[in-house]
Amino acid sequence: MSAGDFYFAINATFRFIHDAYGKEALIDYWTAMAREYHADVAARFRSGGLAEVRRYWADYFAHEPSGDVSVRLTEQGVEVDVRDCPAIRWLRDGGREIAPYYCEHCHYISTAIARQAGMRFELVGGGGACRQVFSIDGGDA
Amino acid sequence: MIGVQDFIGYYDWTFEYLRRNHGEAAVQDYWLRAISRDSQRHARGLIEAKGFDGMEEYWGHTLAMEEAGYTLDRGEDYFRIDMFVCPSKGDLIQRGLAAYHDYCEHCMGWVKPMMDDAGFVIDHEHNHAGQCYWEMRRPASRLPGPPADRGPHDVRNLPHWRQAEHHRYVHSESTTPEPDAD
Repeated sequence: MSAGDFYFAINATFRFIHDAYGKEALIDYWTAMAREYHADVAARFRSGGLAEVRRYWADYFAHEPSGDVSVRLTEQGVEVDVRDCPAIRWLRDGGREIAPYYCEHCHYISTAIARQAGMRFELVGGGGACRQVFSIDGGDA
Repeated sequence: MIGVQDFIGYYDWTFEYLRRNHGEAAVQDYWLRAISRDSQRHARGLIEAKGFDGMEEYWGHTLAMEEAGYTLDRGEDYFRIDMFVCPSKGDLIQRGLAAYHDYCEHCMGWVKPMMDDAGFVIDHEHNHAGQCYWEMRRPASRLPGPPADRGPHDVRNLPHWRQAEHHRYVHSESTTPEPDAD
């Protein structure tokens, strides 16, 4: 598979788990992935704080094949401003039917990672544009 | 966000997650329904419509995009891939990741159903170290056994081909390679 195909596979994976086992199973898949596969990311965030969160996401989005995203550290936390989501863009351009719950993976995975790191995560928006904020637990997001 | 840059790692992890929570059959079902029929429908479309030309178009593009070490070979009655450096398995090996017990099997998991539906049989072998070969042909021109030596670009001639555990398919059916058979 080429890079763009991987977005197709991610979308298809969500749809498969949802259709075969239900929405709760899909949420379990996302949170388990955050807990297990992304444990090192949570550890980085915990030890490096918000500066590391900013570094991580800025680098991450810089290496995706498309999209328009900015990442900045503010007094409230790390704000990820997704103006044009690379995944949604690729799926739309590829004419794929996007699973209606596709965007929820960001909420569930990042919330679980943030909790492991002693942080909070909030997300507003979806469908190709959203605002995500990581903040220190107890702070205002 | 789950992006594409780290896809191989959580693809492998996903196989193991499905096996652990829903059983081995769920992994096979996932490769069939999610990957073969949904994600890779563009590959299906090309190969069902154009046969060998579609294979050349699909794999010529994707393997180049993945910067794989490979050769494509085309005969009158076959289409062949020799994979010398699999970018996908190579990435897992390099990072020391092996969540699922048989990552390489996912290729047959999605390619075989596609070839079944398009009317091709597969001769294939992989060594779980990033090398494999694929030879697709119409059932009417299938060989009595694994393909003959294809020469210098045949991955089976690599000095390190015979390492780790091999899985072999003849006419799309799994067979157990005999030790030192090659």
